[in-house]
Amino acid sequence: MLNDHIDILIEILQKLDGRSLSTAACVCKQWHAIVRNDSLWEHLCFGKMSLTPSLGVRSVVTSLGGYRRLYMLCVRPVVTRLKKRRVNNGETELVKRVWDKREAELSLSLFCVEYYERLFSDGGEPTAKSLKFLCTTVNVGM
Amino acid sequence: MKRDRERKKDQNTSSSSSMHPTKAKEMNHSLPDSGGMDELLEVLGYKVKSTDMADVAQKLEQLEMVMGDDGVLQLSDTVHYNPSDLSGWVQSMLSELNTSCNDVVLGGECSSGNMIDFGGDKVVANNDPYDLSVIPGGAIYGSTTEESRVIKRMRSEDVSSDMMPPESPRPVVLVDSQEAGIRLVHTLMACAEAVQQDNMKLADALVKHVGILAAAQAGAMGKVATYFAGALAQRIYKIYPKDGLETSCWEILQMHFYESSPYLKFAHFTANQAILEAFAGATRVHVVDFSLNQGMQWPALMQALALRPGGPPTFRLTGVGPPQPDNTDALQQVGWKLAQLAETIGVQFEFRGFVANSLADIDASMLDIKPSEVEVVAVNSVFEMHRLLARPGAVDKVLDSIKAMKPKIVTLVEQESNHNGAVFLDRFNEALHYYSTMFDSLESSALSQPMSQDLVMSEVYLGRQICNIVASEGTDRVERHETLTQWRTRMNSSGFEPVHLGSNAFKQASMLLALFAGGDGYRVEENDGCLMLGWHTRPLIATSAWKPSGIES
Repeated sequence: MLNDHIDILIEILQKLDGRSLSTAACVCKQWHAIVRNDSLWEHLCFGKMSLTPSLGVRSVVTSLGGYRRLYMLCVRPVVTRLKKRRVNNGETELVKRVWDKREAELSLSLFCVEYYERLFSDGGEPTAKSLKFLCTTVNVGM
Repeated sequence: MKRDRERKKDQNTSSSSSMHPTKAKEMNHSLPDSGGMDELLEVLGYKVKSTDMADVAQKLEQLEMVMGDDGVLQLSDTVHYNPSDLSGWVQSMLSELNTSCNDVVLGGECSSGNMIDFGGDKVVANNDPYDLSVIPGGAIYGSTTEESRVIKRMRSEDVSSDMMPPESPRPVVLVDSQEAGIRLVHTLMACAEAVQQDNMKLADALVKHVGILAAAQAGAMGKVATYFAGALAQRIYKIYPKDGLETSCWEILQMHFYESSPYLKFAHFTANQAILEAFAGATRVHVVDFSLNQGMQWPALMQALALRPGGPPTFRLTGVGPPQPDNTDALQQVGWKLAQLAETIGVQFEFRGFVANSLADIDASMLDIKPSEVEVVAVNSVFEMHRLLARPGAVDKVLDSIKAMKPKIVTLVEQESNHNGAVFLDRFNEALHYYSTMFDSLESSALSQPMSQDLVMSEVYLGRQICNIVASEGTDRVERHETLTQWRTRMNSSGFEPVHLGSNAFKQASMLLALFAGGDGYRVEENDGCLMLGWHTRPLIATSAWKPSGIES
């Protein structure tokens, strides 16, 4: 049984992307507990980076809400947006590349601004509005 | 639509033979009582009095003739006029309307083959030249070498001579929206010119007309025009409302502006990058912020300081803000929140708030500036310095104070436009172009649905600036924006030298803009060490960095 070998399970989960990880969390209670472990999401955020971030990052990210939140709010939208590269004819194409340090820094900054903004709402809103611009818009038929 | 017109025509032709008033009344009686409204049209949703039917039909016919099949005005021979003499053009236009040719335009008896001739030498017979009853087709926009006037040729073959002309010509706004937009701009500019020449009667007439045109115009152009028209009206009628909006409301508006557009974010990130680079290696740092507001600029800087190699410095922030009407200590609240954040991310933090009506009331000695070996100082101002230009000597006093603080870097973000010219008309035109572009960019961001709260609030925020630029004067007029070139001259002559914003700032800004969905129109430009954010080809805000001359970096 795979569930008896947690370390292998974690190895496998580390290879997944964010969407698959979230799906994996729905499989069973044990998987749910494992996936909630922030280190998996830390690996997702920074594991593939060309430069591993400094040690201080972990404590900052954890106190601002954790890697899973960082991924959901900032990393995923930033990477998705920046992956699209505009080609000359006005179309966009997806470019597969490794996420770099500068993008990581920008995500962290936005994450920090979001935390700060939430302080003003006294915990009322789950996500502050300053990151609204990162959301994908739904085109309600014009 | 066409079928309806034909139906009306049919009705009309059937009733034209019985245009006698008594017969018309008979027709009315024979229909079931619908309050005098035409029953058939009412079914379609049109409320037209049966007695007006002939009139309406005639107008529609003539409108249709003029518009042609594709809805475009029939252009015929054009007459050239002096394009720079806007008020002369308006004057001649108005005088023409009140001569006998008046009733030819759209509805009324006209002899066949008549051309409306805008010869400028007709004498004004009417004693009220400002009666704007009908405005015919406007000038063709675009070419700077010639502005030509459209003359409508009335095809009168179809106008039957037994049609009764209306009592007086009613205003008809033509539907070609591109031309309507052009006319809107021209009427605005003509109104401003009238104000410039102190011709308040003309200005009054024009501003009312602008209101009508603006309401009919969809999109960003209509909204901008409405704000400018409102501001002009205030200036004309000399209504200067006391700044009714509380400071806290203003801050809420600015928050919406922050969230819905990249301008403030760009300002914060580029300024922070310059400050971060200036703080390299320092163990104690002090930021003096002239534009604290909600403190949204500082979390990102604090986070970058927290994660820099070697650990964060001790971070001291002095924030300056305006007095609150309800005496709440808004500055302290901001300071408290920033302190919470600092504790969370592990940065030693100190905050002091200063309440001041004007930056000129602050001087260096109040701020407890430590010597530069102990503490590195940065001064930051985002959209604040231009307010000092309303009082003579204020900006020089503040620049001297800044020098006395011995900062390692001074970051300055300002609107990239000259709204402080001596001549009202120049200010007006500059502002019209600037805010049209701004509103355009807000509208185009895919983020905002047409009537989303953020968009509306952002527009109100900008609208207040517009009102101040157009309607206020003297010390009340605080939105005295100037261009980067003007600020450069001022800073250079006040004893500052430029610090180039590096490629890091440029790349980060570009990346930030790339994140804005639908923000394809935003452009980051580097301008001799300064960064500008613009919409398409028009720069809108500029970030620059400075240090006092003669200080080692």
